[in-house]
Amino acid sequence: MPISRIPKLLFATLALIGCASFAAEVPARDWRTIESKAKGQTVYFNAWAGSEAINAYIQWAATEIQRQYGVTLKHVKISDAAVVVSRVRAEKQAGRDGTAGTVDLIWINGENFAAMKRDGLLGAPFVSGLPNFKWVDTVNKPTTLVDFSVPTDGLESPWGMAQLTFFADVQRLPTPPQDLGAFAALAAKNPGRLSYPRPPDFHGTTFLKQVLLGTAPDPTALTQPATDAVFQTQTKPLWAYLDALHPNLWRNGQQFPNTAAAMTQMMADGELLMSLTFNPNEAANEIAAKRLPRTVKSWQFKDGTIGNTHFVAIPFNAPSRAGAQVVANFFLSPEAQAKKADIKVWGDPTVLAVGRLPADLQRLFKGDPQAGQLVVTAPVLPEPHASWVGLIEKEWIRRYAR
Amino acid sequence: MGWFDRERMDSPLRAMIERKASIAVASVAGCLLAPALLAAIWMAVKPVLQSSPWADLWQDPRTFDALTATLWTSIAASLLAWCSAAYLLRQAFIGGQSGRWLNRLPPLLATPHAAMAIAVTLWIAPTGWLFRLSSPWLTGFDAPPPWATTQDTWGIGLILVLWLKELPFLCWVAATQLHRDDVRRRWHAEYAVALTMGRSPQSAFAEVVWPQLARLMRWPLVAVLAYNMTVVDVALIIGPTAPPTLAVLAWEWLRDADLALNHQGVAAAWLLAALLIAISAVLWATVTRVVTGFPNRQAIGLGWVTLFLVYALAWLALLVGSVSGLWPFPDVWPDHWQANDWLRVTDNLDSVWTTVGLGTLSATLTLLWLVAWLECAPQNWQAVMRPILLAPMVLPPLLWVFGLYQVALWGHWEGAWPGMVVAHAVMAMPYALLALESVYKASDRRLQSVALSLGRHPMTYLLVVKWPLLKRALWSAWAIAFAVSVAQFLPTLYIGAGRFVTVTTEAVAQSAAGQRGLMSAYALLQTVLPLLVFAIAVMMGRPRHFTKDQTWT
Repeated sequence: MPISRIPKLLFATLALIGCASFAAEVPARDWRTIESKAKGQTVYFNAWAGSEAINAYIQWAATEIQRQYGVTLKHVKISDAAVVVSRVRAEKQAGRDGTAGTVDLIWINGENFAAMKRDGLLGAPFVSGLPNFKWVDTVNKPTTLVDFSVPTDGLESPWGMAQLTFFADVQRLPTPPQDLGAFAALAAKNPGRLSYPRPPDFHGTTFLKQVLLGTAPDPTALTQPATDAVFQTQTKPLWAYLDALHPNLWRNGQQFPNTAAAMTQMMADGELLMSLTFNPNEAANEIAAKRLPRTVKSWQFKDGTIGNTHFVAIPFNAPSRAGAQVVANFFLSPEAQAKKADIKVWGDPTVLAVGRLPADLQRLFKGDPQAGQLVVTAPVLPEPHASWVGLIEKEWIRRYAR
Repeated sequence: MGWFDRERMDSPLRAMIERKASIAVASVAGCLLAPALLAAIWMAVKPVLQSSPWADLWQDPRTFDALTATLWTSIAASLLAWCSAAYLLRQAFIGGQSGRWLNRLPPLLATPHAAMAIAVTLWIAPTGWLFRLSSPWLTGFDAPPPWATTQDTWGIGLILVLWLKELPFLCWVAATQLHRDDVRRRWHAEYAVALTMGRSPQSAFAEVVWPQLARLMRWPLVAVLAYNMTVVDVALIIGPTAPPTLAVLAWEWLRDADLALNHQGVAAAWLLAALLIAISAVLWATVTRVVTGFPNRQAIGLGWVTLFLVYALAWLALLVGSVSGLWPFPDVWPDHWQANDWLRVTDNLDSVWTTVGLGTLSATLTLLWLVAWLECAPQNWQAVMRPILLAPMVLPPLLWVFGLYQVALWGHWEGAWPGMVVAHAVMAMPYALLALESVYKASDRRLQSVALSLGRHPMTYLLVVKWPLLKRALWSAWAIAFAVSVAQFLPTLYIGAGRFVTVTTEAVAQSAAGQRGLMSAYALLQTVLPLLVFAIAVMMGRPRHFTKDQTWT
């Protein structure tokens, strides 16, 4: 990789002229220090492991990172980032400071990031020191700096873009619903054939937020921290919508699938009409892996669907902090981002400004259209402030999960 | 008991040294384990000393319904298992076939709960085989029926799985008693007397054998009830969801990013423990009477055949599930067969090796510890320690694991092999103890006197006479400990800091992700690994055969 050679040259030159005071102002030298410190370290990357495509990508990244930087990346497979938050907190309470933690890097966003930031479970800001951060499209993708309305402050490094996307087999569902009204009408016409994952599963919660954004009397109120009064008025139509919808859902809305992946399996079996994902290319990926038929198509609501960025962050007591930074930087490299965006690999949209990359790197991002791929992209609706998540989940449980 | 209390001694000094040595071994064995266990319990008490977690628990809208679901499913499953175990044991005993059926139990025991839950799901889910086989010709369904046949509100699926899994366990506990020569001979004699006095076989069994057997099986019944009340992985796979059982709720709360909720989870686990004690007390007093009133037909072995058939069907479902590709309803067989999921398993064998490594090491540690303890610790020490050793079987695993995790955090041994091995050994200890204890204590002490009077060193007696004679029990205790280790879910996640991936954590994760192929493959592995170990145990546990001129020096 040419980029990593530049700092090496710089470092050599600086060392030759013995100008140490200069070096402090040159981030490249800092980065060299980090890279050499990282060599031989093992990075425990706690990441959601609910998708085989993602697990395989992390496996690929681990091989590359070992080869290029001599850092060992271990994927600690988890089902929910909240578990890691509570583990890091337990470690903090047990006085496990310094480098005595068990988590080096965590895949995170939204309310989990907000909780870690609030409770001081993240270390010093590190993102601006990553050489590859300069390629990130912070202008057109503002969610790379503001996570669920909470500023990232350099505590988490963007990894990929997500937008709520639906998919269905057009042989069984020729006209996909294009808005909330059509969705409810479809459920009424086909009782028991639609559903959404049970909150607090994050796909399920995202569906709730999508309904909230579509029904709230004043959507701008959602970008502010939630108060009781505002919550009551803004969510009233949401509950009314769900009250009307649930009797027509799978198992009369008395039960919900555990995860989006479970919904996808049920759709493939013919039990449900449609499934949902946060990855616009997931259906195409599943078709490529022969887990879904080629007649499956993806779409988003025409007025837009909720979208966000997912990140990686380093806990305050990470044993291999330097190694974690090297991994975060590798994740931002055009090579890794292009591989991730490849539908046959994962299909996760890039956080980079592809247009700003050198031409030869831009070419990495060009792929042939694949079956099941999203054809028309709808506008991205920003996430409500992180404080809404817990409140919505709690109220949903109070109303529907007892 | 041990070699120190023998009556004939050739040298008082040597005897004293040996006595000291064995006390030392026992002290080390006791001191290593007891403080760790007590510390774990204390760590789990600490968060609930304030009142707020209890208030939160009380006010949570789901607590009451979840508790109802827990009580209903656990008591129903426990009683079903108890009654049907009594029925099967009667059949086996009266038919004189106790050995024949009871010896075949290991494959059933080796099937972990989670694997059984997945298999049952593959059968009874709306997209499961029952509906595929009967659709559309019988049911008229072209699409899976919109019925909640798994994760149903009544918890029927959960009860079914727990029942199917606890039944062989109870029968196996009875087998450990029936395999004792002294006990078996006595019971058969008493049973024969009852028959000659004009009792029917059924009532002879019910009045003479069962009360004695049931008395010995009360602790295992408490263990069954405890498991049913507190199980998380099975309830996640097949239990009700709206609301889930209290154990699942407690588990969700413990995993939350919110500290107050974590403490609420600990409080819920203690509530479960308290209820368990209360219900156990009631069962303890009443349950030995349950046996009369079963149908009197002499359908020999029918119940047993059914039980084994159900397990065979479960394994078949897992096998087919693991090689199924696209499989639209109502096709009886998959459209596509595929080996991708198995290839993915074999591509990354880490989870298998971790499982085997943890199982082997923790089972060996358990066995070494237990033998040292049973051999060396004085009788009164054993009486004190027994409840502590059995505690991991009856205390909710959530509580236990939370406490052990706090101890691990303090001692910096979470996320590493030694801590994991110890944690698994602790969980396996009570089961291995049950398997070994009575046989070990019943070993014929006259042999010891003979060996010593022949001038042999006590250690020689152990190595050449006692342990080889107990070979079968020792190996089977080792295999049981291995099987328990394989099935561990919560300790693996917690103490392992998420770093240890075993076939069990994979099976549960894949079932949550709804990936039929992978979850079936891992569930099958979960069964096959302990099964292999049971087979090894049977092979290694074969009695020695002596030829005439073979001598021991």
